[in-house]
Amino acid sequence: MKFEGSLFVGCAIFFGVSDIVYWYYSKDPTGTAALALAVGLAFLTGFYLLFTGRRLPERPEDNPDGEIEEGTGELGFFSPHSWWPLYVGLAAALSALGVAIGWWLFLIGLLALFLTTIGFVFEYYRGVYAH
Amino acid sequence: MATASVTEKAPTPRPPTARPNLVSVGTIVWLSSELMFFAALFAIYFTIRSVNKGNGIHWPGAHLDLTLGSINTTVLLLSSVTCQLGVFAVERGQVRRTGRVWQVSRWGLREWYVLSFLMGLYFVCGQGYEYLGLIHDGLTLQSSGYGSVFFIPTGFHGLHVTGGLIAFLFVLGRTYAAKTFTHEQQVSAIVVSYYWHFVDVVWIGLFTTIYLIH
Repeated sequence: MKFEGSLFVGCAIFFGVSDIVYWYYSKDPTGTAALALAVGLAFLTGFYLLFTGRRLPERPEDNPDGEIEEGTGELGFFSPHSWWPLYVGLAAALSALGVAIGWWLFLIGLLALFLTTIGFVFEYYRGVYAH
Repeated sequence: MATASVTEKAPTPRPPTARPNLVSVGTIVWLSSELMFFAALFAIYFTIRSVNKGNGIHWPGAHLDLTLGSINTTVLLLSSVTCQLGVFAVERGQVRRTGRVWQVSRWGLREWYVLSFLMGLYFVCGQGYEYLGLIHDGLTLQSSGYGSVFFIPTGFHGLHVTGGLIAFLFVLGRTYAAKTFTHEQQVSAIVVSYYWHFVDVVWIGLFTTIYLIH
């Protein structure tokens, strides 16, 4: 994953140099702070990819002679069917509406968000999925 | 049938390709976008600051309790350390302590995350206490430009810390809801630690900007 990581770190270096030049010519803390965090934006992803890449064996993507079929296998857990994201989304919408209408609705929305998130997080820990 | 299958060379199954965990990658990408959210908040702060200073308005517009803020910050920083010790326990596959409560070296994920949760809770309560004092002194979200740029960034950060506290509870809940300590629980514990470290680093930036530099 060296290549992907280097791309992001390269972006971070670019933003960093831009930041220094920007500060030198403008002395504007607003843009300097925003650019400094853009360095963070690119560096965080780049650092993660480089760091994780060193801990993992080479992937088929890293091998110039790699074949597509070598990449088969389990990618992760994907919920086949769930209503919870809908409920979480509705609760989040209610909270956002509460910001416009009133704090009482916002607090109800937060409570709904908390309860639906519990449902979402523990969906595969209950009932037939209990393990 | 049996003899035929013995003579045929069975294809050797290839070990699955090792990839970075999708949940971890997603969390990191999301956190880097969160940095941009906080970039907007920093931009609000510096813009209002320069406009107010240009108009000759006194800055900072309130007296901040640096001692209380420093103690809060220290506790939040240390909670990142305890959280990471919890991650080390996850990497050992140790969910619960093997010794007595006071035998810290034998703590597992649960003990470290409970401690991190309590330290984070202390931080949120400390911030709330400081808010009450400032509101008592007349500084509110609407009172002045300084009130807005103090409460909006620190308030959003406080909401993030609160979200992290809820996430700690979810991770702990997952370890209790299942009889076995699964890979999924390990991943959720690790990504919550990423989030916690992120919130911590953002606070260092906010604290430096709002409390130290003005």
